[in-house]
Amino acid sequence: MIRLEDVHKYWDVPVLQGVDLRLDKGVVWGLIGPAASGKSVLLKTVCGLEKPTYGRVLVDQSDITEYGESEMMETRRKFGMLFQNNALFDFMTVGENVAFPLVRAGDIAEAEIAERVADRLKAVGLSGSESKMPNELSGGMRKRVGIARATIASPPIVVYDEPTAGLDPVTTSKIYDLLNGIQDESRATVMAVSSDIIALRTFVERIAMIYQGRLIYEGPESELDDCEDPVVHQFIRGELEGPL
Amino acid sequence: MSDKPHMPGLEAPPGFPATVPYRVGGMVLGMFDALREFQRVLRGTIRYSIWGKRPKGEVLNQMYQVGNRSLLFVCVTLGCLGMVLVYQILLQVNKITGDTSQVGAEFIKGMVHAFVPSLTAMMIATRVGAGIAAEIGSMMVTEQVDALRMCGVEPIEYLIAPRFIAALFMTVVLTIIALAIAVGAGALMAWGSFGVNPTVFLSFDKVTIGDMVTGITKAVCFGAAIPVVSGYCGLTTRGGSEGVGSATTRAVINSSLAVIVLDFILSALAYFFLQSRGL
Amino acid sequence: MARFLRAVSNPIAAVGESVIDMATHLGAVVTLLLRVIRSLFPPRFDMPEFWRNLYKMGNQSVPIVMLTAFFVGGIMVVQSAVFVKRFQATSLLGWGAGYSVLREVGPILIGLMFSGRVGSNNTAELGTMVVTEQIDGLRALSIDPMRYLIVPRVLAMVIMLFLLTVLGDLVALFGAMLFGNLIIGLEFGVFYSGLVNSIGIGDLMHGLIKSLTFGLIIALTSCHFGLNVRGGAVGVGRSVNAAVVGSALGIVMSDYFLTFLLT
Repeated sequence: MIRLEDVHKYWDVPVLQGVDLRLDKGVVWGLIGPAASGKSVLLKTVCGLEKPTYGRVLVDQSDITEYGESEMMETRRKFGMLFQNNALFDFMTVGENVAFPLVRAGDIAEAEIAERVADRLKAVGLSGSESKMPNELSGGMRKRVGIARATIASPPIVVYDEPTAGLDPVTTSKIYDLLNGIQDESRATVMAVSSDIIALRTFVERIAMIYQGRLIYEGPESELDDCEDPVVHQFIRGELEGPL
Repeated sequence: MSDKPHMPGLEAPPGFPATVPYRVGGMVLGMFDALREFQRVLRGTIRYSIWGKRPKGEVLNQMYQVGNRSLLFVCVTLGCLGMVLVYQILLQVNKITGDTSQVGAEFIKGMVHAFVPSLTAMMIATRVGAGIAAEIGSMMVTEQVDALRMCGVEPIEYLIAPRFIAALFMTVVLTIIALAIAVGAGALMAWGSFGVNPTVFLSFDKVTIGDMVTGITKAVCFGAAIPVVSGYCGLTTRGGSEGVGSATTRAVINSSLAVIVLDFILSALAYFFLQSRGL
Repeated sequence: MARFLRAVSNPIAAVGESVIDMATHLGAVVTLLLRVIRSLFPPRFDMPEFWRNLYKMGNQSVPIVMLTAFFVGGIMVVQSAVFVKRFQATSLLGWGAGYSVLREVGPILIGLMFSGRVGSNNTAELGTMVVTEQIDGLRALSIDPMRYLIVPRVLAMVIMLFLLTVLGDLVALFGAMLFGNLIIGLEFGVFYSGLVNSIGIGDLMHGLIKSLTFGLIIALTSCHFGLNVRGGAVGVGRSVNAAVVGSALGIVMSDYFLTFLLT
């Protein structure tokens, strides 16, 4: 279970200004908002990659803002993250990339790791590409490697930062199909950020919108259309006229 | 919204004179933060170099990056500089005393404890410092460092420690090779332009244990400083390709400065403790 | 690991590859020089850019050059302290410091620091402009990148390094004088007379001509590598690396040739 209490973040300019959030176990949660509204920063704050300027972040009842790096490392084992630009290690092969979270755990046999890697790659539709280098793959394929790496250790919390950015509509559908499949199997707690609102809404149960550093809507996905806030109204319909 | 200051409640009063303490205070706080981060990198590097886990073969790979790829560069630069130095010295000696027999011995002595370690380190700071910062900076900018942290890996242990060990070792090796090149090139110059017999020039009589200790100590300290400083610059990269460029620039300058300041301190220490006692 | 094995097993090819690489870059730099010279006749380049670069480069490099020069002066005193004490040749310190600073140490070390600070910054800026397609943008607006960007920077860097070398020489000599006093108790007057009596304008000119040459080398090398960036942020880092190394090589090798030519 994840909780944010009055989280603020400043980097010369205010980025997050009082975010309150409560995310229960097993919920698939989505985040939308205009560009540069703080979506990625919010995700990274939850994962402990960024420390809030003030406020509390609780992961399973413990306040991670108090943690030093080594305690943070322990907590991060609970997370699997897909980064906006994939962040695949470009000096490693696909196989080594996907195996990496398992290798660093240190206590799993090599043969078993290889098996699980092959398994994961098959699940994302990239069987047999263990020895390719990331720069030999297309955008969609790299995303899938990223998803494989994020989910291979079966983490209880999975974070997807823009899983379909820059992909064509068909590939986008395939990726969300894949994410749904993985979610059906693992029942993890999921946080997903996307600019593709329509596709995202097919995936999530609850959704939130961030605007100027605050969550101006947070609730079930089905009730999003009924929201009366003019900013939300304009944003989800893509209208020209309005506060944005 | 967008013109709110850094922290709520700490508004900078308008007007230039009034903002000065605010700005200076900001700078000082910034420096403290930077220093704190730097000493964290330093401590982490040393700790992980001794006790950490490393990817297989990474230290060897880094030794190749540092050593082999800088070899030609170091040899050319130190060779040229050795020759120029010998030329300038012999020019003056010829004018003043005409006795060129001592020049070789003194030259070699100076090379061992001062000139070669410092200049090799400057060249390595340029080449390797920029390289390390560029690599790590690029990884920062493409979020690969964040991805490492998310997979439970401490970037200092995985990225900097292997480079630290490699640079430490290779700097010493390169310094020794550079010494041979500089002395050899100097001897060639002395013989070619001034007719000094190489057997006379290549006299190691005046090189003392103290000189060698000084030279090796300098090489070790420089080899330790360069990867830590440039690794720190790489890990504090922010923002796109400008960030990477800025990190690389900072790494070259700060490593070079570190070499110069350490050189001064170590030379002074050597003078007071060794040379004044005739070592 | 694969690269390591490949290079070890075929060192001759590796050396040959490096040589061809260097020759390619050298040729490109010379071509750039010719283009810069051609853009100077008639001297029509962007003056505001020139002044802006001059100011920026000065701002960036003055503190670092002064700091470096100061410590270098100190280092030289410490190195020669033993001699001076042994031969009681106190007047020689002024002469020795003056000679080496003006002719060699000053131009080279200040050149290296300038290359590290201003040269790499220049490469990074130009590289970022290439990556964000601003250079193409300029061409699309029918502005000649040569006259607008490159020539002002080259001129600014040459002039700036010249001035910095003069300043740096002074600071280094001052540092040497100060540390001479602090470390071996040398009187300021003795240092000064030793310096003034044996150093002539020729030595100063020797160093300044070198610094003009170094400035040109640093400017051309940094612009060349900046303009030829490939591959986003990673490429910028690599270009800065290459530029700094190339400038250092250029400085050291031209120092070698100039030392002979100028004596």
